[in-house]
Amino acid sequence: MLELKSLCKRFGARTVAYHLDLAVEPGEILALLGPSGCGKSTLLAMVAGLETPDAGRIVFDGEDLAGLPPESRHFALMFQDYALFPHLNVLDNVMFGLIERRVARVEARERALSVLEVLGLAPHATRDIGTLSGGEAQRVALARALVTEPRLILLDEPFSSLDAHLRLALQSEFRQRLKQLGICAIWVTHDRNEAFAMADRVALLHDGRVQQCATPGQLLAAPANPWVARFIGFNNVTEHAVVPDAAFLLGDEHPAAVIEEVIAQAEGAKLRVRTEEGEFVLQLSAREIRTLGARLQKGETIGLAVEAGALIRFGAGPAPESYNR
Amino acid sequence: MRRGWCAAPLALLFFVVVWPVFQLFRQGAGALSFDFLGDPFYRWRLAWTFCQALLTCLLALGIGVPVAWVLARFEFPGRRMLTRCLMLPFVMPTLVAGIGVLALFGPNGLSGINLQDTPWLLLYGNLFYNLPMLIRAAQEGFARVPATRLAAARTLGASPWRVFRRVELPAAAPWICSALCLVFLYCFSGFGLALLLGGQRYATVEVEIYTLVAYELNLTDAGALALSVMIMTGISALIYAWLEMRLGRAARGRAEPRRRTRGWHQRAMLGGALAIVAVFALAPLLAIVMRAIVPDAWGVLSDEETLGALWNTARFTGIALVSATAFGLAHAFALRRSAWFRALSFLPYAVSPVCMAFGLLLLYPGLGASLIMLLSAYTVLAYPFIARSVSAALDAVDEHLPAAARTLGASPWRTLTRVLMPIIAPALARGMAFAAATALGEFAVTLFLSRPEWMTLTTLIYQHLGRPGAENMNAAMVLSCLLMLLALLAFIVIEWPSRREAPCSN
Repeated sequence: MLELKSLCKRFGARTVAYHLDLAVEPGEILALLGPSGCGKSTLLAMVAGLETPDAGRIVFDGEDLAGLPPESRHFALMFQDYALFPHLNVLDNVMFGLIERRVARVEARERALSVLEVLGLAPHATRDIGTLSGGEAQRVALARALVTEPRLILLDEPFSSLDAHLRLALQSEFRQRLKQLGICAIWVTHDRNEAFAMADRVALLHDGRVQQCATPGQLLAAPANPWVARFIGFNNVTEHAVVPDAAFLLGDEHPAAVIEEVIAQAEGAKLRVRTEEGEFVLQLSAREIRTLGARLQKGETIGLAVEAGALIRFGAGPAPESYNR
Repeated sequence: MRRGWCAAPLALLFFVVVWPVFQLFRQGAGALSFDFLGDPFYRWRLAWTFCQALLTCLLALGIGVPVAWVLARFEFPGRRMLTRCLMLPFVMPTLVAGIGVLALFGPNGLSGINLQDTPWLLLYGNLFYNLPMLIRAAQEGFARVPATRLAAARTLGASPWRVFRRVELPAAAPWICSALCLVFLYCFSGFGLALLLGGQRYATVEVEIYTLVAYELNLTDAGALALSVMIMTGISALIYAWLEMRLGRAARGRAEPRRRTRGWHQRAMLGGALAIVAVFALAPLLAIVMRAIVPDAWGVLSDEETLGALWNTARFTGIALVSATAFGLAHAFALRRSAWFRALSFLPYAVSPVCMAFGLLLLYPGLGASLIMLLSAYTVLAYPFIARSVSAALDAVDEHLPAAARTLGASPWRTLTRVLMPIIAPALARGMAFAAATALGEFAVTLFLSRPEWMTLTTLIYQHLGRPGAENMNAAMVLSCLLMLLALLAFIVIEWPSRREAPCSN
């Protein structure tokens, strides 16, 4: 549906995209995940038409979007700070896009009200933007983006300014709504958990390229390279393989490993150990801690082995999906 | 498109300010030997001009900072009203201020004290304008000091006085310093007040330039004097622009809450502050009203002369307002995020009206009788208010708003009319009110280029003052009262913003 083909963009010395390829399928929610400042937002701005790529093409439904101004693309972009219009109230904000699309005022009002109704904002229709709470402003921004029935919705870190509790509640609500409407979405985030919870597929962005684009399950089962493996949260990554937690075998029959550090956690503990094969970080459950008992101290040794068959080797194992499925 | 925005204000500034001033420099430099400094009379003029500006700064600092602190820290009924009133002198024409001071402390003044031919008359007039401005600025600075910073200083062992000296004053210093720069600038290049209140001995260089050009036709000395004025005002305008740009970085954190006064000494401080504001900002205006309420005096309003002046004032202000709005908007949209273009909007402050008018006369002798010259001078004096007010509002606009409007289907033009214009509308109205007040009270340029058929309210008042007799004095009072009421309209637009705009006042 949407295809980025060999996209290039740089700002001075900073490379945002370098021959970047990416495709979004109809009805799919795709998360763009990457460290802060890797150019995710710029990528969104280029799709929206607010920035011009230096080279490469952006194609939607077979149509090259080059030169098409943002207002003609019929994509909705939801900003990190929501960018609600301060001089308009909630209803007028939601109606803004409809009026620009030449919808008659009466009809625009009805459509806006019905979207507000669905999002539970109907009682707030006449409120000033300045009086909304973070969660309310967020939903108004979503309503404003959805009401015009865009061909594609672009979300730029939509939850980053909310507290953790509210974020969880809204995340599932958002996913449900988008799925119901069947709108294709690109979701920019730097939060791994959010990306995995929300998206059908996750594209990992680093050094101006998509390092891997796959479902959350596939990413965990077969990360494409060490950077991806580390970024999605594996503790033990070597040059050629990931050592998943399941690959570690504990027991006195195994060679001794020296405990370098014990880091207590809410449930269980983290252990940094040195073996002949190198340093590892172990995640121990509460039960395992009880079994090990008093030996769990810096300088003590425990028996530890790595099961070779459980290693995830880069480029082997189940083949990672290609970027353009 | 950006370039197109720049062109109009740049051309205006060039032809009305830069080129005439350059001409003035050439005129001055041609005969410039600084011989005129050998004349003790000129030496005194320059020294006194400098001294009265400096003295005003010191007095404003000494009186204003404590008052500002009291207004920033104490809550009392009518506090908002009072801070609004501090803006009142700023929109008042210099002629009104001068007449007000004369009504109080002039010959036969209401106070019974005649300060004519002493320096105090001019200093009091200077303080009428500048003390409220300094108080407002300093109060802004004090009000922004985060409460936690004060609390931290107290827990580290500082007494309230030490907190004031070591924490609050340094925090407010940028605001105070930038206001002091403006005070110095206004006083040094002040014309109207000095003409009315300075008398023979305590007039300023600007008045001297006017006298030399208008009565003695001594252009050489006038040029040399204008040059020295412009160097001084240029320096202080530069310092002001530099300080103003640094003010953007506001401290984070919640401000210290204002408390009700407790105990007799706090109440005395508050009482003192209120008395100072009343004496310096309000008394001259009240004096005009009191002196204007004289039976028979209001007949002057139906004079043919008065009606003509009123008509001129109305049409000059109207035309200047329209063109100042056009230039101001163009400048504001052009100067977005361009520091040097922003600095350009300070240029008209740096050049005094008298110097500008003098330069214009030198440069375009053929246009001396043309309204275009007068009106462009009006526009140049008025439009920076609009440019600066609108550009401040544009700076505050979230940069994502236009982008959001675009992705929702608005073309660039629709984005401008449906998003940007409504948001900046209150700032535009405020800027236009300042511009209107400036045009309304314009005196220096009109007097300098004066032609009988261009008589405005301000020059008419000045004429009445120059004529003998109590009747003329009464007429001047009545006309000043009228001018004051007109300026009051601008003040109301500026200080009573619409409901929506109130929270984001800067």
